[in-house]
Amino acid sequence: MAQVLLKNITKRWGDFVGVDNQSLAVADKEFLVLLGPSGCGKTTTMRMIAGLEEPTSGEIWIGDHVVNDDLPKDRDVAMVFQNYGLYPHMTIYDNIAYPLKVRGTPKADIKPRVEKAAEQVELTEFLHRKPKALSGGQRQRVALARAIVRTPKVFLMDEPLSNLDAKLRVTMRAELKHLSRQLQITTVYVTHDQIEAMTLADRVAVMEKGVIRQLGTPDEIYNDPSNLFVAGFIGSPAMNLINGSVKDGYFITTGGTRLVKVDGGDRAKVILGVRAEDVDIHESGQGDIDVLVYAYENTGESVMLTLQFGKQRIIAKGDRHLRKDMDDVVGLRVNPDHLYLFDSETEERIRY
Amino acid sequence: MRDNKLKYILVLPAIIVVFATAVWPLIESLRLSFTVGRLTKPNFPQGYLGWENYTWAFMEEPAFWNSVEVTVLYTLITVILTTLIALGLAMLLAPGGRLRGGVQTLLILPFAMSPALIGVSFRFMFNPEFGLFDAFFGVVIPPLAEISWLSDPTLAFVVCVMADVWGWIPFLTLVLIGGLASIPQDTIEAAQVDGASSWRVFKDITLPQLVPVLAVVLILKAIFSLKTFDQIYMLTNGGPGTATQTLSHYIYFSGMKYGQIGYSASVAWVMVIPMILLTFLYARYVFQKR
Ligand SMILES: Nc1ncnc2c1ncn2[C@@H]1O[C@H](COP(=O)(O)OP(=O)(O)OP(=O)(O)O)[C@@H](O)[C@H]1O
Ligand SMILES: [Mg+2]
Repeated sequence: MAQVLLKNITKRWGDFVGVDNQSLAVADKEFLVLLGPSGCGKTTTMRMIAGLEEPTSGEIWIGDHVVNDDLPKDRDVAMVFQNYGLYPHMTIYDNIAYPLKVRGTPKADIKPRVEKAAEQVELTEFLHRKPKALSGGQRQRVALARAIVRTPKVFLMDEPLSNLDAKLRVTMRAELKHLSRQLQITTVYVTHDQIEAMTLADRVAVMEKGVIRQLGTPDEIYNDPSNLFVAGFIGSPAMNLINGSVKDGYFITTGGTRLVKVDGGDRAKVILGVRAEDVDIHESGQGDIDVLVYAYENTGESVMLTLQFGKQRIIAKGDRHLRKDMDDVVGLRVNPDHLYLFDSETEERIRY
Repeated sequence: MRDNKLKYILVLPAIIVVFATAVWPLIESLRLSFTVGRLTKPNFPQGYLGWENYTWAFMEEPAFWNSVEVTVLYTLITVILTTLIALGLAMLLAPGGRLRGGVQTLLILPFAMSPALIGVSFRFMFNPEFGLFDAFFGVVIPPLAEISWLSDPTLAFVVCVMADVWGWIPFLTLVLIGGLASIPQDTIEAAQVDGASSWRVFKDITLPQLVPVLAVVLILKAIFSLKTFDQIYMLTNGGPGTATQTLSHYIYFSGMKYGQIGYSASVAWVMVIPMILLTFLYARYVFQKR
């Protein structure tokens, strides 16, 4: 019904390029997440879809027509603002009811719908208060309720969970996922929280400096990054990225250590990417090379080891029962089945 | 303790000055309002009359009621007109509005002129022989050039209102621009996305958030309109006849021209009442905790 289409969208302020000639197709009913570091243009992209910002060039489609010249009110989208945008002079009830009132919903329908939305975000007891009398997280939930009270063509959510505590964030995340499946409404969702992106998204668009670096399912983004930025940005802890070269079928670090077997021909300058969970830890002498434990962290569900050989450090994820101490010597083996090679110059993935 | 005493000593001079220049004259005028108080006769203020000055004004003096009527009408019209026009201009000139740039600086110019000067310049502009307006109308709408604006009671009143509105728009516009700028842009954008037309955004979102500033503007302008004197004095001197005679002008004339100090003091005290009310309201809005 309502796909969202960006065709060669550019947003410029003077010389500064906020979004650089990007195209993106969000399918009908799809949950698309825009993920990227602060300042990469996520909010800008979203505001252009909402009609609050005019693209410098390019076309925006919602459903089957161009909306570039449509006012925000005519685009039939519901938006959760990054800084809420609540109406300070209205009660929470009136805040949530406003989009219904202004679109001429019959009075009898408004009350049950507002109450239902308030219930979904656990706000029922605050309906008579003013926004001023709520905490940041509660305000954010009001903003969320104001969006979900209606069934628009498109949901636009700009970090709608960023101010909630960890526990509420998990419940709200599940609530949102359920809601979006249930309502079947196209959603564009902005976040810089990877877990949120991974769990909610049908597809993720990873942005950097106004450019979409990769667009794919959470699985593709995580397991098949197409460039160094995506590889380094996705995953916690961040992927180990090691400078070196490929010679005679082996990856050699800049420090000269022969680390792991790599197929494909010789290459001078490459970066090897390997995730912490693909670095295996063995007893000293039983791995490919012996390394020193630089730091040992126990997170409860697993342990993180920062290992050092020469000047190179590498992070490994180990079994939660593994006990090591600083300066212990352990054996290290990099799993050759899950390696990523990147060109040092272009930072693009080298597929071999 | 020492700090506490010092605090009072430091404000004492200010308190003394306020007493000598505002409170004492106020009390003295109250006392005079109960006396005969004729400047032209010996033994000023010639003994007490009780409430007679007041009852005289209310019961026996159509000129008093005329000036009350003029003042109320003048205040209502100028307050509403100035605020509406200033609000419209502010909407155009505020950040995100349709006009912007150097216009704002130009705006302040009329406010830099003293009311008396505005009065004089409007009198010249409406002069039937060499006035700007007559010259203008003479070219554009010739029939209007024949009108002698300041000799017609209604038109003279209209000219007074025009001069006042013209002089006050800039300042009030600037105040309202400030008020508009302090409204979070988010709330306006949220309403636009929620589906509100520009008019509804203004009515539901902008206006309610502008209320505190708007209240200050309305009260402030009402205070200044109520006490209008110098501009009228220079422009029409209350005329033709008493068509534009405001209370202040009436008080001044009774006291200074006819020497009826006691009587004019009592009329002045009649005017003090709405003034105190407005000042009280003003203070409440300006100093209220939000
Ligand atoms: N009105 C503007 N004028 C000039 N530059 C702007 C404007 N709005 C945004 N920018 C710039 O555009 C870039 C992208 O901003 P945007 O708000 O889209 O970032 P974001 O990805 O949402 O970041 P965050 O995660 O911090 O919210 C930023 O560098 C920002 O400084
Ligand atoms: Mg943002």
